Amino acid sequence: PQLKGGELMPYWLRKGRSWVVIQDKGIKAPSGSAGDVLEDDPVGRLKVFVYELPSKYNRKILQKDPRCLTHMFAAEIFMHRFLLSSPVRTLNPEEADWFYTPVYTTCDLTPNGLPLPFKSPRMMRSAIQLISMNWPYWNRTEGADHFFVVPHDFGACFHYQEEKAIERGILHLLQRATLVQTFGQRNHVCLKDGSITIPPYAPPQKMQAHLIPPDTPRSIFVYFRGLFYDVGNDPEGGYYARGARASVWENFKNNPLFDISTEHPATYYEDMQRAVFCLCPLGWAPWSPRLVEAVIFGCIPVVIADDIVLPFADAIPWEEIGVFVAEKDVPNLDSILTSIPTKVILRKQRLLANPSMKQAMLFPQPAQPGDAFHQILNGLARKLPHAEKAFLKPGEKILNWTRGPVGDLKPW
Amino acid sequence: MGFFTGFAPTSTASLFSRQLISYRQIKNLGISAEAVKATEKPVEPASLNNRSLMAEMSTENQTTTEQLADADPKEEDSDPESNPRNLLIVITTTRSNDRFREFFLTRLAHTLRLVPPPLLWIVVEPHGDAPKTAEMLRKTGIMYRHLTFRENFTDPEAEAHHQRNVALSHIEHHRLTGIVHFAGISNIYDLQLFEEIREIEVFGTWPVAMVSANRKRVMVEGPSCRSSKVVGWPVEDLSYGTTNDAPNTDTGSVGKASKATRINISGFAFNSSILWDPERWGRPTSVPDTSQDSFKFVQEVIVEDETKLRCIPPDSSKIMLWHLHIPRVIPLLFRRNQNRR
Amino acid sequence: MAAYRSSPALSDGGGADGMGKSQASCFWLLLHGLCCLISLVLGFRFSRLVFFLLFSTTTLYTSAPVLRATTTTTTTTTTTTRTETLTLSLPNHPPLPPPAVHSVPNRTRSRVVVGRHGIRIRPWPHPNPTEVMRAHHIIDQVQREQRLQYGVKAPRPLIVVTPTYVRTFQALHLTGLLHSLLLVPYRLTWIVVEAGGVTNETAAILARSQLNFLHIPFPEKMPTQWAERHKMEARMRLHALRAVRERLLDGIVVFADDSNIHSMEFFDEVQKVKWMGAVSVGILAHSGNSEPTPDRQFREEDKENFPVPIQGPACNSSGQLVGWHTFNSLPYREKSATFVGEAATVLPRKLEWAGFVLNSKLLWKEADKKPNWVRDLDAVGKYGEELEDPLALLKDESFVEPLGNCGKKALLWWLRVEARSDSKFPPGSNSLTYLIVEITGRLDLIFTIAYFG
Repeated sequence: PQLKGGELMPYWLRKGRSWVVIQDKGIKAPSGSAGDVLEDDPVGRLKVFVYELPSKYNRKILQKDPRCLTHMFAAEIFMHRFLLSSPVRTLNPEEADWFYTPVYTTCDLTPNGLPLPFKSPRMMRSAIQLISMNWPYWNRTEGADHFFVVPHDFGACFHYQEEKAIERGILHLLQRATLVQTFGQRNHVCLKDGSITIPPYAPPQKMQAHLIPPDTPRSIFVYFRGLFYDVGNDPEGGYYARGARASVWENFKNNPLFDISTEHPATYYEDMQRAVFCLCPLGWAPWSPRLVEAVIFGCIPVVIADDIVLPFADAIPWEEIGVFVAEKDVPNLDSILTSIPTKVILRKQRLLANPSMKQAMLFPQPAQPGDAFHQILNGLARKLPHAEKAFLKPGEKILNWTRGPVGDLKPW
Repeated sequence: MGFFTGFAPTSTASLFSRQLISYRQIKNLGISAEAVKATEKPVEPASLNNRSLMAEMSTENQTTTEQLADADPKEEDSDPESNPRNLLIVITTTRSNDRFREFFLTRLAHTLRLVPPPLLWIVVEPHGDAPKTAEMLRKTGIMYRHLTFRENFTDPEAEAHHQRNVALSHIEHHRLTGIVHFAGISNIYDLQLFEEIREIEVFGTWPVAMVSANRKRVMVEGPSCRSSKVVGWPVEDLSYGTTNDAPNTDTGSVGKASKATRINISGFAFNSSILWDPERWGRPTSVPDTSQDSFKFVQEVIVEDETKLRCIPPDSSKIMLWHLHIPRVIPLLFRRNQNRR
Repeated sequence: MAAYRSSPALSDGGGADGMGKSQASCFWLLLHGLCCLISLVLGFRFSRLVFFLLFSTTTLYTSAPVLRATTTTTTTTTTTTRTETLTLSLPNHPPLPPPAVHSVPNRTRSRVVVGRHGIRIRPWPHPNPTEVMRAHHIIDQVQREQRLQYGVKAPRPLIVVTPTYVRTFQALHLTGLLHSLLLVPYRLTWIVVEAGGVTNETAAILARSQLNFLHIPFPEKMPTQWAERHKMEARMRLHALRAVRERLLDGIVVFADDSNIHSMEFFDEVQKVKWMGAVSVGILAHSGNSEPTPDRQFREEDKENFPVPIQGPACNSSGQLVGWHTFNSLPYREKSATFVGEAATVLPRKLEWAGFVLNSKLLWKEADKKPNWVRDLDAVGKYGEELEDPLALLKDESFVEPLGNCGKKALLWWLRVEARSDSKFPPGSNSLTYLIVEITGRLDLIFTIAYFG
């Protein structure tokens, strides 16, 4: 769609369908960009072998429910498609540094589109059984050179309730594998060392359609639209979002600097583009697509989720870009935000305005240099070479195939 | 010995124990949050183990913003915290498909943009007309709330009344604190009036000069005052038509049809806490249910208690607000009950 | 991690000689100190752990059985963005005690506790006024930076030409225009040409305006016939252009009538003009009679006027100027106003001056690279020549640059509304201070006075 006022088109937009980073003649990408590591090109730094699995593990599941292409967990599907046509893919497993198993574990949706995690462990276990029987590469390392995309609420713990997720822990068979997941919280059972945290999927075209000229004056100080109380599941409050969202409402509903409400207006994306700060508080899970939207729309993310690990944290200096507020400090949010020196705010906005920062948050179709797909590959490349102990001696066994909850052992 | 030192109340331990004591079951419990250091140290990120961006950014050179001709002539950079001001809550209602709307809203926006902050502009509009106005409002740089409603009206007066209630219930819901004023889109202001409104404690009123295209007379509506106290109200409207003669309904009058009080809708302002904290203003909360119609509630409160009414300026001689009525046919064919004298 | 006792028996070892013995004993002493230290640290950590475990279990209440209904799409009018992911599930049993400490030695418990937390509300409910001001200061700085970052680079000053005269609506109109000009982010000179000579009323408004202005008298009085008035205003503008030429003022000349209202985009867009440009003007023609006649059928010309008609440049597909959109005054043939204040529709000129902008160098005697298709200003308006619009300044109209995306959108509005010309506001009152009450001499007289001229 041709943008109104084409002259001021933001420089990370291309008239065509997908994002491309173009340097608008008038606007130079501000220096001090969080850019250079994000612009690494993974091609040539690693080789990935993609297992051929029966379609019941991927294509058929998607056919059953195409909504899996638009919800927050769609990264598991788009990563598969990306790898199939990516130059890093090798058809010769012998030369592969990493092995990818295309299994869509977050696509078993309820009628109103929410993923059911109950079959996921069995599905994953069945897929691993299959690759361990048909190829030697799994048993060679028991997964140490394999990576899996598990974008659900609490990653490979395969549950949406935190207690249950903690109780389950990470699926035993994945102990040695690298997990690519949205969930990230330090010292949490469901975040294994060496995992790669990725942004949740947000449809690029949908955001692109709501772009407004970047000179639109930002007149909102703090913006948030969403639930403060989850009346359905935690009417009393204090459980949902650990009480942080309720605290935001109770303390700042009467503060005109805080444009906060439960109703989503039609101008939700446009409003984010005219706000200085956008709240990204935890919900049932610590992460949320708001962080991606805030980066795309140049609104400084205010992250309220203790110990959260944000996407590609080893490549993006999030504390330079966002504002982190401990959940216990929510009542003083206005004092905290208004005491940030203006030049620090302007600097954060410049970092957010950098095209590679935005590109790294997106899974565009087709893929673009520096997008989230490439950042995952960069993450994998940075972990090479594999440690010696990754490769087991012949016949050595570490993983115990029968460990874990009984329900997980049923065939899928 | 090491074992026992573990139980000594170190800082973290005591923090933990205090948390323990202050938790209570009820939902909105008050927790005295200890004073926060000015700049809260953000949580440490995962260590940056590769060609870290941090190094690259520290050598960041200033962008070329300095070289740009300093476009903004007015560069006053007064200390922001020196004179905190009361919040001004300006409510503007717009008629559905009024084709002069964008013109009038743009002009009013220019005026409001010049009013020193804090100012909150609440624009209430029929849902259908929202997108175009939203685009215009975005460009003004003013802090605003764009409230829309889906009900449709044939009588503009009923529509305006509903719109005012939408705005007032927003203020009630959020318990905003400030001085509320209804700014009709065809109002033209002397900026000084806004500073006077800010000083109002409970109610304030001032004269409004009502003018119309191609008319001879200029009608000034408002109280007659002496040393900022109301001494009298216009007993009889001598001019043709009453305040709500003009089809532009936001000139609807305030106050019951009682002959004593005829305040122009744009001729007064009131403290918003009246809406959500009546006791504070000596209003028994057992007032008959006005929750639904907050605007009627405000009207009644004004009529009942003139002692709290303050005139701006004290002798209400200076006109700081003009209401320009321009006839424009609103293609909505509707019946207007002209309560002409 | 068991605490272990650390005092190895002081072995007497083969103390061959005193020196060896003291060395050995000091070695053992050292060893002993080291072990004490280690046990101190380990003991400390072990007790902290016990302390934490002991207390954390008791703080977790059995959370009420939480029936998880699905909440998915928050009720949104159009955008359906889902914030939380929850699925249908059975009421969950009370939360289990946190799992046993992970076997990995260095994994300390996350200080984040799952389960019900208190909702923290600070005691002082209302926003802190100082912080509110600081926030607005931040917003102002951010908007300033946006203008520097995305606004016009190296903008040129503006020269705004406004013909005016004292009448009932002068202050009302000038205030509206003044408020727009105060928001213009570029250096600006406001040339106000006043019919009938400079008056106190206009001078007072300009004095309060904080803009730098040039208040130029124009001898003739403003006529009350609309046709004459348009010609007179054209002569007043020409008079202002001559002042620009004599003073060699450099910048972009904008013709802003005192009753126009401009969008802020207009002032950014005109920065693009090279020599002479044209933008689209929204024509707000209105019936003029404020006698609201209810139950009137929707008149033919009103249909014509909805939405707002535009007057401005017309271009071909490649954006070149090929003609002009003008206001269709046919439906108003007999009903148009002839004198100011008549209750009828005031019609715009074929092309209003307000839609044109020009580089002031066009007016100079000589300027480098001044195009040859422009007439010399001295030759213009001679021998009673009446200027219909700025195109009269040119020898060849085709060089006019269409601005504003070739006039797709109106960047300013034209409106003509005046009080009856015989309605007078008391002379001598300044700007908006119309001291009506003084005229009646009695301050406490009932206030509403219809002022009959």
